[in-house]
Amino acid sequence: MEERATYKMDGTLRIVLLVLVGLGALCLGASFFSNPDGYHTRFWSNLLHNSVFFTGIAFMAIFFYAICMTAYAGWHVMFKRVWEAFSQFMLVGIILIGIITLGVWLHWHHLYHWTDAASLDPDSQYFDAILKHKSSFLNPAVYTVLGLGMLGVWYFFAARLRSLSLAEDNKKDPFDFRAFRKMKVWSAVFLPIAGFTSAAAIWLWVMSVDAHWYSTLFAWYTGASWFVSMIALTILVLLYLKSQGYYSFVTSEHFHDLGKFLFAFSIFWTYLWFSQFMLIWYGNVGEETIYFKERYENYPVMFYGNLIINFIFPFFVLMRNDTKRKVGSLVIVSIVVLFGHWWDFFLMIKPGVLHTAHEALEHAGKAHAHIGGMGFPGLLEIGIFLGFLGLFLLVVLMRLGAAPLVAARDPYIQESLHHHT
Amino acid sequence: MAHAHTTTDIIYGLYTDETDLLHAVKQAGDAHMDIWNVYTPFPVHGLDPLLGLSESRLHIAGFIFGSLGLLTAFLGMSWIFTRDWPVIFGGKPYWPVPSFIPITFELTVLFAAIGMVVTFYTVSGMGPGTMYPILDPRITDDKFCIAFDKTSMTGSDVDAINNFFENTGAAEIHSKEIA
Repeated sequence: MEERATYKMDGTLRIVLLVLVGLGALCLGASFFSNPDGYHTRFWSNLLHNSVFFTGIAFMAIFFYAICMTAYAGWHVMFKRVWEAFSQFMLVGIILIGIITLGVWLHWHHLYHWTDAASLDPDSQYFDAILKHKSSFLNPAVYTVLGLGMLGVWYFFAARLRSLSLAEDNKKDPFDFRAFRKMKVWSAVFLPIAGFTSAAAIWLWVMSVDAHWYSTLFAWYTGASWFVSMIALTILVLLYLKSQGYYSFVTSEHFHDLGKFLFAFSIFWTYLWFSQFMLIWYGNVGEETIYFKERYENYPVMFYGNLIINFIFPFFVLMRNDTKRKVGSLVIVSIVVLFGHWWDFFLMIKPGVLHTAHEALEHAGKAHAHIGGMGFPGLLEIGIFLGFLGLFLLVVLMRLGAAPLVAARDPYIQESLHHHT
Repeated sequence: MAHAHTTTDIIYGLYTDETDLLHAVKQAGDAHMDIWNVYTPFPVHGLDPLLGLSESRLHIAGFIFGSLGLLTAFLGMSWIFTRDWPVIFGGKPYWPVPSFIPITFELTVLFAAIGMVVTFYTVSGMGPGTMYPILDPRITDDKFCIAFDKTSMTGSDVDAINNFFENTGAAEIHSKEIA
């Protein structure tokens, strides 16, 4: 292999990413000070939205990595360091979710209705029987211990798998499979833990925004959203690295498989989205339909747009064989779908947060204030998204540069090199 | 050569390994030998481009049949529930689009699947009662076969093919006349 063995970040890219992070910080600051309701709702909802979205991408990278490991897959080995690097963003995720968790205790924000002490007090006029009933799960202690605990466990496994993978690079004997076998065990142990905990994390961070409502499909649907975003971002990062002269052995065969995952999991996401929607629509139970009534009455463009950009568009573009192999079509679909799932998370989080903010205003005897960026992503939201994206890429590319780009001693490296779809 | 119009005289070599087969096919292509057909018990990766076969267009038929199924289901249900026999189910509107989607999806898959099978059988000239001559029963089991048409070959051409089979590691060489 004659190409450069380690990644070194290009000076221009570093500046671009730092500018993006600066822009994001600026927009986040601006959304903090645009505060017509007095609760900084716009700021906190944006922080939650982007933290959950990007932490989820980091989680899905290591989750899929462990799946490939357990399934004896070899096709991805050529670029598996990218997923290892993705998972390292989890450390930033712990800090971000930690800030939100701290806010739950110190009442910095009103993201979650269940943090309101009055709703649990039977003597209060704001007593809420449903929240009281759910309070053994929806309370600050569970949110903290389970939420941060799960993130810690995920990061532990991600760090373990990465260090074993790096240890493999230094082995002397090509038939020394100790590190590889250990990775197999760690991956297999991680999978069931990750499967259950990711669902619980989604209930706590996202679904409890609409604290009265629940859906058993919600965790899968959100997980699929994370997964599609992760694949889209992987394609974009790999194509960028290839354009810079790295990873010349990652060919259109590898991209074809990534494209298939993007295509298949876009359909999977739609399947889950629709299953959740249709059962609720057909069942016609008021407590459940309220979730969708709110969204298609007050967010019609986002609601239907969600299906167009996350299903119709990738479905018809990626249906053909050649669009999964060509750079142009892959770049366009990946960008659209990555943004599309961010849009999907917007629709999961913002209506519930806005509702809680309005309720809090009512309880305080204040009039409804118009809070910007809650009904439709404004310029600040886009800026914050770009800022988080910049931060994610900065962290990931820095971690990528800290190790050899190709895991040359992986037993499956030859399979990946000669991969044909 | 009196029977040349009704039968084809085939010479074929059997290989025991798919890699040997791929190398042999490549070598035959490089030597501009005219392969009559290749038989394998399972799809062998990379064989199609070596044989110069163009991409199958079966999936286009699949798309068309699928679209037909989609329209049949969706328009059919729409007509039944809005024009032919409007009934209110569970307080839903006369035209409950979300509840059409599962059946629309299923008919799309059904039409695409059956349509592709019928297309494939038609194009391949297969169907109930069709007899197709088989060179060797083991090509559906564990043998990989390259066949040449020697009907109009001279003796030296046949010798060249025998040499080719021997050089590329064929386990057996046979001849057979097929109708």
